[in-house]
Amino acid sequence: MWIALAVAGEALVVQWDLFPLAAAEEAHIVDDAFRLLMVLAVPVFAFGLALLVYSALRFRRVGESAEDGPPIRSNGLVVGAWLAVTTGLTAVMIVHPGMTGLADLRHRFSQAPDLVVQVEGGQWYWKATYPEYGVTTFNEMVLPVGQRVRFEITSKDVLHAFWIPAFRMKIDAVPGMITTISAKPDILGSLETDAGFRLQCAELCGLGHSVMEAPVRVVTADQFKAWVTQKQVASR
Amino acid sequence: MAFLPLARGIAFGIIGFLIGGGLGAGIRALAGMEPAWSAEPVVALGYVVGLLGWLLGVGVWGAWAKEWFGLPVQESSATGWQRYFTFCLDHKVIGTQYLVTFVVILLLAGLASVLMRVELMAPGKTIMDANAYNTTMSLHGIMMVAVAVATLMGGAANFVLPIMIGADDVAYPRINALSYWIVPPVAVLLLATPLMGGIDSGWTAYPPLSVINAGGQLLFLLAFITFGLSSILGGMNFIATTVTLRAPGMTWGRLPIFVWAVFAAALISLTATQSVAAGLLMVVLDRVAGTSFFNSAEGGTALLYEHVFWFYSHPAVYIMILPGFGVALEVISHFSRKPLFAYKWVVGAFLVIVVMSFVVWAHHLYTSGMDSRLHLPFMVATELISIPTGVVFLAALGTIWMGRLWLATPMLFALGFVANFLVGGITGIFLADVPTDIQLQDSYFVVAHFHYTIMGGEVFAIMAALYYWFPKVTGRMYNETLGKVHFWWMFIFFNLTFIPLFWAGIHGMNRRVADYPATFADVNMVASIASFLLAASFLVMVYNLAVSWFRGPAAAANPWRARTLEWQTSSPPPLHNFPHEPEVVGHPYDYGVPGSVHALIGVAGASNGEGEEERHPHPNPLPSRERGEQRGRGKRTR
Repeated sequence: MWIALAVAGEALVVQWDLFPLAAAEEAHIVDDAFRLLMVLAVPVFAFGLALLVYSALRFRRVGESAEDGPPIRSNGLVVGAWLAVTTGLTAVMIVHPGMTGLADLRHRFSQAPDLVVQVEGGQWYWKATYPEYGVTTFNEMVLPVGQRVRFEITSKDVLHAFWIPAFRMKIDAVPGMITTISAKPDILGSLETDAGFRLQCAELCGLGHSVMEAPVRVVTADQFKAWVTQKQVASR
Repeated sequence: MAFLPLARGIAFGIIGFLIGGGLGAGIRALAGMEPAWSAEPVVALGYVVGLLGWLLGVGVWGAWAKEWFGLPVQESSATGWQRYFTFCLDHKVIGTQYLVTFVVILLLAGLASVLMRVELMAPGKTIMDANAYNTTMSLHGIMMVAVAVATLMGGAANFVLPIMIGADDVAYPRINALSYWIVPPVAVLLLATPLMGGIDSGWTAYPPLSVINAGGQLLFLLAFITFGLSSILGGMNFIATTVTLRAPGMTWGRLPIFVWAVFAAALISLTATQSVAAGLLMVVLDRVAGTSFFNSAEGGTALLYEHVFWFYSHPAVYIMILPGFGVALEVISHFSRKPLFAYKWVVGAFLVIVVMSFVVWAHHLYTSGMDSRLHLPFMVATELISIPTGVVFLAALGTIWMGRLWLATPMLFALGFVANFLVGGITGIFLADVPTDIQLQDSYFVVAHFHYTIMGGEVFAIMAALYYWFPKVTGRMYNETLGKVHFWWMFIFFNLTFIPLFWAGIHGMNRRVADYPATFADVNMVASIASFLLAASFLVMVYNLAVSWFRGPAAAANPWRARTLEWQTSSPPPLHNFPHEPEVVGHPYDYGVPGSVHALIGVAGASNGEGEEERHPHPNPLPSRERGEQRGRGKRTR
């Protein structure tokens, strides 16, 4: 039963497209880590569930028998094997995808950005400033595809959190602090094509929390340039 | 007459509130602050003095404080149901007070969740505006946290822990009563929050939001601090009781596993709660006294609070779940009629969890903007805690293997606990891992995960405890068929409610929202409908337990034929639990061990007609008719 459950579960993990659209390089790291953890988790879950269900059916007491079970207090071999397996699994998870994923993300975050966007969250808006171009937008974010963007995030009032689900990237906006996160969008898209292309507040920030979102558009380099020029003209 | 202490408490409370509030206004007037009658400082000081007045009036003065002034104290003389409305010192009365109070709070908080799920049935506004939603959500959160912390600790453990260790009461009966009577003002404050503008910062109350939002927040903070005080006092009491009041022969190696679990949770409750109380107090001071702990414009930092808060609140999830582990393993051993597998390893795992629970808090802060060098150590510590947690599963599965499983309602809930907590534990791994948590933090994945641990785990354990000890507490038997109906109904719709929410979280639905993008409409509709049916399952329990309490058939002293001490006395137990002090001579879980005896004990009142004063051992405690039979088989040894 365990093997059947585990095999079925693994097939599901491999076959089933569990994830929403991934639109940045970092998103694939996150999804790969998630998938790997699922691959490890499924046999563990299947083992626990199979043992539980099998025991409940097989060892169910029938009638009003007052008989006791065998007096097994413990079993050194079973305990040892259990500890060895759980410790082993934990060690594997800590190293990979844990440490490796962390190192990978840190490496990417430390790369020199092609574009810096300063983001300010406030009750209840997102303000994005593109310092290289002198452009500021409210509740609108446009990013060029294939370029590494560093977001420098702060808050005007209370805690907010910067989250673009399609990029799998999230970090809090903290008043008095600048937090940074980095992403390299790798496909074109917008809120019209996928709900993941939105900048969503993810830290409860009061009454307007659920509507504190801004559409994100990932465009080609040319389109981005045109958009910047248009904004510059408009602000003059 | 029965309600005299309550009336006196309320009157003293109001007088105290007026004195404190007047003091606050007076200080402001003297300091030249305008206006003198500013609501928050006046309410805060009024509440502190009002709380003292309430406690003195309800019984602290009469039963306790008088002796500080050389006056004679008198204990509550009430009997019967009237005891439950007085400052009664009997741990069984206090345990029952806790149980009933927190089951009521559980139902209220459940009602709040139904309102939330109605709002979330469809995108856009359904029945509530944003403030009503945030207030409902925050109240649901804090009330359920209180239920999870106090129902097993304050309720079940208060009733059964002293009996299980063969004591006649807890170590500090007056502090025990105090820790309960602190709770009603907490409920009053929380339910009054909508009168002062509601709360919109959730149960976590992160500043700066919790410093600048409506006045309901102040009531929330005062309630939380007060509840923390109750929790600290309770934890201290259980530690002292377990250390000092064990019956002769009740060595640490013979403690029932539920006692170990409560002892471990009490260690956390005593030590960690003070941290959150300090953090909340700083928020109160920022609000009413103009300090700037968390105001970055004046040198404070909001991040500080998150560390202080989770330094308590992560250990707090183990205050919730350790007693849950205890109940589940206790029930599983008795209903499998097998020794608890790997008992010593489980005890070791509990103690390792206590220590480790203090060094994992920052996994709530991976995306908070804290120094990224903290990611690695907290990820490692968090994933390591799955090893001792795994030992609990080993014990549960090892015990049922080859057992003689009696699938009565408490056992069903205990097994349901194991299944649900398996999901909760495994999904926790995804949140412990930094890369996946960056996506999942503050999403519905977190909501689904912690409902699997706290609702699927802790609340299922609370249900197991309620059914398991119901005959002991009330002296009546519940309806077994309705109990089983409740279990299956609750188990099925619990899973149908929360499995879809994992999907919503992975797909980018953020938590604590009254509104969401249209793409999440279907999944929310499914979760909402399932949640209404889940809520309805509790009506079965309320009906079953309420009717059985008054009209159920009388319960035997030991309907489960369990070996632990609370079943070796009458149902309900007499005032001091046992006619004679029990003497413990063996392990509580030695089912199937020929001739094994847990305790020698004088027969209590309802001992099924055997001699009142006869001392005799209970090798394998059975109702009297079966006991005779067993004696015939020669299993009893002294």
